Amino acid sequence: MQPLIEMKNIVKIYPNGVVANNGVDFSVIKGEIHALVGENGAGKTTLMKILYGMEQPTSGEIVVDGRKVKFHSSHDAIAQKIGMVHQNFMLVPSFTVAENIVLGNEPVKRNKLIDREQVLKTAKQLSEQFGLFIYPEAIVDSINVGMRQRVEILKTLYRQAEILILDEPTSVLTPQETKDLFQAIHKLVDQGKTVIFITHKLREVKEISDRVTVMRNGRVMGTVMTKDVTREQMARMMVGRDVFLKVNKPKMKRGKMCMQVKNISYVSDTGRQMLKNVSFNLYGGEILGIAGVEGNGQTELVEVITGLREAASGEVIVDGKNVVNHTPREVRMKGVAHIPEDRLTNGVAVDSTIDENLIVDRYFQRPFKNGLFINYKIVEKKCGELIKEFSILTPSGKLPVKALSGGNMQKVVVARELSSNPYVLIAAQPTRGIDIGATEFVQDKIVENRTNGTAVLLVSADLAEVMSLSDRIITLYEGQVTGVFPDAAKVTEEELGCYMLGVKHQTPEEMEQYL
Amino acid sequence: MKKILSSKGFRELLRIVVVLAAGLILGFIITLIVSKEPIEAYKALLTGPLSRLNRIGDWLEESITLILAGLAISIVFNAKQWYIGVEGQMILGALVSGVVALYIPIPPFWRILLAFTGGMLVGFLWAVVPALLKAYLNASELVTSLMLNTVALKIFEYFLKNFIMPEKARYVSSFTIPPEYRMSSFVPNWPFLQSIRELWMKQTSVTWIVYLVILSVIVVYLLLYKTSFGYELRTMGSNPKFAMYGGINIKRTMILSMTISGIFAGLAGVHLTLGIHNKIIMGMTSGLGFEGIIVSILAYNNPLGVPFTGLLYGYLKAGADVMERTTDVPRELVSVIQAIVMLLITAERLLPAIQKVIAERKEKSNNRTKVGKKGEPNVT
Amino acid sequence: MSLETVLHSIFSAFFIASVIRISTPIIFPALGGLVAIQAGVSNMALEGIMNAAAFTGVIISAYTGNVWLAVLCGVLVGILIASLLALFHLRFGTDVILAGLALNLFCSGITVFLLYVLTGDKGNSATLASLTVPNVKIPWIHNIPFIGELLSGHPVFTYLAFFLVLVIYVFLYRTRFGTHLRAVGENPEAAKSLGIDVNFVRLIALIISGSLAALGGMTLSMAYLPLFQKEMASGRGWIGIAAVHLGARKPLGVLLAAILFGLADALANQVGSLKIPSQLVQMIPYVAVVIALVVYAIQQRRAILERVKKYQQTMKEQYSPRTQ
Repeated sequence: MQPLIEMKNIVKIYPNGVVANNGVDFSVIKGEIHALVGENGAGKTTLMKILYGMEQPTSGEIVVDGRKVKFHSSHDAIAQKIGMVHQNFMLVPSFTVAENIVLGNEPVKRNKLIDREQVLKTAKQLSEQFGLFIYPEAIVDSINVGMRQRVEILKTLYRQAEILILDEPTSVLTPQETKDLFQAIHKLVDQGKTVIFITHKLREVKEISDRVTVMRNGRVMGTVMTKDVTREQMARMMVGRDVFLKVNKPKMKRGKMCMQVKNISYVSDTGRQMLKNVSFNLYGGEILGIAGVEGNGQTELVEVITGLREAASGEVIVDGKNVVNHTPREVRMKGVAHIPEDRLTNGVAVDSTIDENLIVDRYFQRPFKNGLFINYKIVEKKCGELIKEFSILTPSGKLPVKALSGGNMQKVVVARELSSNPYVLIAAQPTRGIDIGATEFVQDKIVENRTNGTAVLLVSADLAEVMSLSDRIITLYEGQVTGVFPDAAKVTEEELGCYMLGVKHQTPEEMEQYL
Repeated sequence: MKKILSSKGFRELLRIVVVLAAGLILGFIITLIVSKEPIEAYKALLTGPLSRLNRIGDWLEESITLILAGLAISIVFNAKQWYIGVEGQMILGALVSGVVALYIPIPPFWRILLAFTGGMLVGFLWAVVPALLKAYLNASELVTSLMLNTVALKIFEYFLKNFIMPEKARYVSSFTIPPEYRMSSFVPNWPFLQSIRELWMKQTSVTWIVYLVILSVIVVYLLLYKTSFGYELRTMGSNPKFAMYGGINIKRTMILSMTISGIFAGLAGVHLTLGIHNKIIMGMTSGLGFEGIIVSILAYNNPLGVPFTGLLYGYLKAGADVMERTTDVPRELVSVIQAIVMLLITAERLLPAIQKVIAERKEKSNNRTKVGKKGEPNVT
Repeated sequence: MSLETVLHSIFSAFFIASVIRISTPIIFPALGGLVAIQAGVSNMALEGIMNAAAFTGVIISAYTGNVWLAVLCGVLVGILIASLLALFHLRFGTDVILAGLALNLFCSGITVFLLYVLTGDKGNSATLASLTVPNVKIPWIHNIPFIGELLSGHPVFTYLAFFLVLVIYVFLYRTRFGTHLRAVGENPEAAKSLGIDVNFVRLIALIISGSLAALGGMTLSMAYLPLFQKEMASGRGWIGIAAVHLGARKPLGVLLAAILFGLADALANQVGSLKIPSQLVQMIPYVAVVIALVVYAIQQRRAILERVKKYQQTMKEQYSPRTQ
C-alpha cells in the first residue's frame, strides 16, 4: 500500500553538533496507528518536529500522498493536514474549551463578530464526531488534564488534520484517562484518520498500535508489525549496547547508611500522583543509580529530597533527622549537595559572576563571612582554587557565568556541590548537554567523591552513564520503583530496559533487601 | 590600557556619555527651533549652575535629594523588585521629621536626631505592607506601592491641613522651623574655615547632610556588594530559583530589600524638610520619586554611580532653572532631554538593532559585487 | 451642615451628575489600561498621554478653530506616544514599565515647554481661545425632572466614555482580534503556535490604549473648561491603572472601579463639613485596590488547592475496587 507519508533519509544536525537524526526512513500508511518509540535523545521528537514543520531537516525529503513537500513552518504542515499535539499544552486558561478549539480561526457572522453559537456547535460537533468527550463551555483552567489533551486533539481536527502526531500523550494522564484516550484514538482511526504515537511505554505500544518503529541514537532500528514483536524485543532494540565511556572505578567499599528515603509520595498541582511510595537507602562510598526514562518521577523525586518540593507523604532521613519538607538550606546543612538537572534554571545565575555562583551554599559560613560582611578576597582565593581544581576554563572568576560554555557552566555547578565535601550527593542529569571532555571530567569527579565516602544518588536518562557509574541500580517507572539490582556490573542493558519501560516488575519482597 | 578600554565598566560609561550627548544635541535642536537666543539658552543650561555660589548651592541641595532617592531605588532594582513607593516614603519622612522638629519638646541635638530617626523609620515601615503582600501572596508590588504612594500623600495632606498648618496661613505650609532646630551649614565651624563658612551660609543653605549622603552612598555600596545580605539580594535579583536552590531565604530577602530601601527614601524626605525647605509644605516631593528612578537607571542601579548621575541630573535641573530665568527657554526642556536619555539608555536592543541594519546593508553591497559573469551563482 | 443636608445633597441629581462628570476622565485611561494589560503590555504612559492630548486639543482648536480636528489631532498624538512605547519595548527591548515612565516624563516636559513657547505662560493656556466640545441635550429626556439633569447635558466625551465601555467589551470578547489580543496576553506561546503575530497585536493594543487615554485627556481640557493646565491629568492616568486592577481586569469591573474613584473624589468635597476628613474619603479607593489585590491572590491560591483536592477525589474514585 502506498504510504501516506514518507520521510526519506532524514538527517538533522543541530548547530552545536548533535546529530539528532542520522539517515532516518519513516513511513506511515493511511488509517494506521503507528507507534514511534525510543529513549530520550533517540531522535523521535526531532523527527516529528520536522514532520510538523517546526524544524528543518539538514537533508532528506518528505513525501505526502506521493508529492514531495517542503515545510517552512507549521502552517505548511497544517495545510497538508498534519496536526501535532505537544507534551506542553498550548491552551489559554481563561477561555472556554470551545474557544480554545477555534482559537486563531474563529467563525464570524456577517457583522464581523464571533459567531458564538457556531463556536459551540463546532466544538460539540467535532466532539461527537470523534468521540472525544469535552464540556464545550467549561473554562480550560478548571478541567482536568485528560480533557485538556482532548481539546488539543480537537484543535488539530478543527484544522482538518488527517494525520495526528501525539507526542508522549500518556505521560500526563492517569491510567483511566489513558484508557479513554485509546478509545478516542480508535474512533479517530475508524473515521479514516492516521495517528502517529510517540511513546516510550511499551505496554501501550502493544495495546494500541498497528505498527511500531524503534529508534535509537538518531537511527531507526526497525519497523515491524506490533503483533509480530514482544516488549522484550522492543526493549532490546531501544536500549542496545552502545559505546560508552569507560570509567575507572575502584572497587566499592560500602560505608554506613547516609540517607533513608521512606515511602515518598508526591502529587502534582494538577492532581497527578507522580511518586508512589518510593523507598531506598543511600550508603556512603556507593553510587546508587536511578535508571528510567524522563518523566517517570525522577525530577520530582530529586526536588522532594533536596527540599525544593513538598512531598505528600513520606520521610527523608539524613543523619538521624527527617528533612522532608524542610527548606533547601536546612537540607544542605545536613550535608546534602545537589547537582540539578536544569543548570540554567536552578544551578547557576547567569548574570552573576563565577565566584558568586560558587559560594551560594557557603557564603554565610567562615571563612567567607565575617560579621555582616563577606570577605571577597578570600572568596576570590578559594574560588580561584576551585576553578583550578575543576579546570573551569575562564580567565577570571569575576566574569559572569553566561560567558561560559555549557560544559564549563556545569563544571561550576559540580565544583560548588562537590567541594562542599558532601555527606550525600544528589546528581541529576549531571552530564546533560555538555561536551565529551567535560562529561568525562564530571563523571570522574563523581566517582572520586564516592570513593572518598560520599553517598551518591545518580539520576540519569542516559542509561550508559547510569550503568558505568553506578554500583547499585534501581529502576523507576511511573513513579514507582520497579526493580533493584545490587550489582550494576552484573545486569544488562536489555534487562534494565525492561524494568525501565514497565515491561517487568520485581515484587516488593524481592526488592526489600537490596533497596 | 586596552583592558580598561574593552572592560564592561568603560563600555557602560561610554554608553551613558553617548546617550547623554545625543539627548543634549536633540535638546539643542529643539531649542534652535523655538528660541530666539538658543546659544545663550544652552550656555545658561550648561554653565549656569556654576556661575554663582547660590546656584551651586541649589544644585547641591537638589542633588542630595536625588541621590538619596536614587540610592533607595538602586537597592530594590538590584533585587529586581518593582517597588516604586519612594515618593510616599519621602513625603512621610518629610512629615515625621518636620513634626518632630517643630513640636517635640526636647533639646535641639536630640530633636534633630529624633527627626532623622523618625523619618528613616517611617520610610522603612511604609514598605512593610507591599513587601509582605509580595512575599507571601505574590501580589504586584508595583501596584501596591503605587497605591500607597497616593495614600501617603493624602495622609500628609490631612495632617498638614488639619493639624499643622497655622490658622490664617497664606499658603499650605507649616511654621518655619526655628533656627536653633535647623541643621547647620556643611562647612564645619572651625577657625580657619570661618570666611568660607560665612560665604556659603550667606548664599546657600547646604547643610551637613552632605556628609550623611556620602556616608549613605558608602553604606549602600557596602550593603549591596560587601555584606552577605547584599549578596543574597543581588543573587535573588539575578535568578530567584537559583537563590532558593542554593538555600537563600527569598521571602526574607524580598521584604528586607524593600524596607531597607525605605530608610533612604525616608532620609530623602528628611532632607526636604530639614535641609531644603525648613518647613512642611504642600507638594514637597512633586515628581521626585520618579526622578529617583531615572537617577538610578542612569547609573545602572550601581550605588557608586548614583552620586554622579544624581549630581548630573541635579546639574541639569539647576541649569534649566537658570536657563529659564535668564532666557526664553522654559526649564521643561530638561525633562524632555532626560526622557530621551532614559529611553535610549534602557533600549537594550537598540545597539544590536543598529548593528544589524549596518551589517545587512554591508552584506547587500557585498552580494552585489559578488555576482560573477552573467549572474553565475557563487559557490562559497 | 448636618448629616441630613449632606445626605440630601448626595442624593441629588446634581451630585450624581457631577460623579458622572468626574468619572469620565478616569474611565478613558482605565479602558486604555485595560486593553493594554489584556494584551500583556502594561501602559505606564497613560498619564503622559492624557497630558499630551489635552494640550494638543487646546492648541489645535485655538489655532484652527475646528474643535473636531483638534480632537482628531489629540487622538493622533495619543497614538504617536503609544507607538513610541511599542517601538522601544517591542523592538528595542526596553522594559515596558521604564519606557512608559520615560514617556510620561517626556510628555510632562514637552507640554509645558510648548505651552510656554506658544503662549508665554507656563501655568495654563488661558490666553488661548480654545474650544470645547458641545454638550449633548437629549431632546425629550432633558425635560424630565431628576433623570433629565442626570442623563442629559453632558459633554460628548461623557457619552462617548460610557459607550466605549460597551464597545471595548464587544471588541475584547466578541471580535476575532479582541479574542486574539486576550490570548496573547494570557499565553503568547499558544497564540504564536496558532499563527497569531504577537508583536503586532501588542502594537495595536497599545495604539488603542493611547487613543483612549488621549480622549480622557481631552475631556479635561475641552469639555467643561476650554483650558489646558500644567500637569492637567493630575494622576488620573495612575488612577486608571488602579481601576483596572480593582475591576479585576474586566470592562464592567473597570467601569465600576472608575466610577468609585470618581465618587470618592466627589464625596470628599461633600463630607468635609461632617468632620470626616476629605483626604480619608479620597484614600478609600486606593486602599480598596490593595485589598482587592490581596483578595484576588488568596482566591487564586484557594482555586489551586481546590483543584488538587478535586482530582485527588476523582483519583480515589477511579482507583476504588469496583472499577478495577
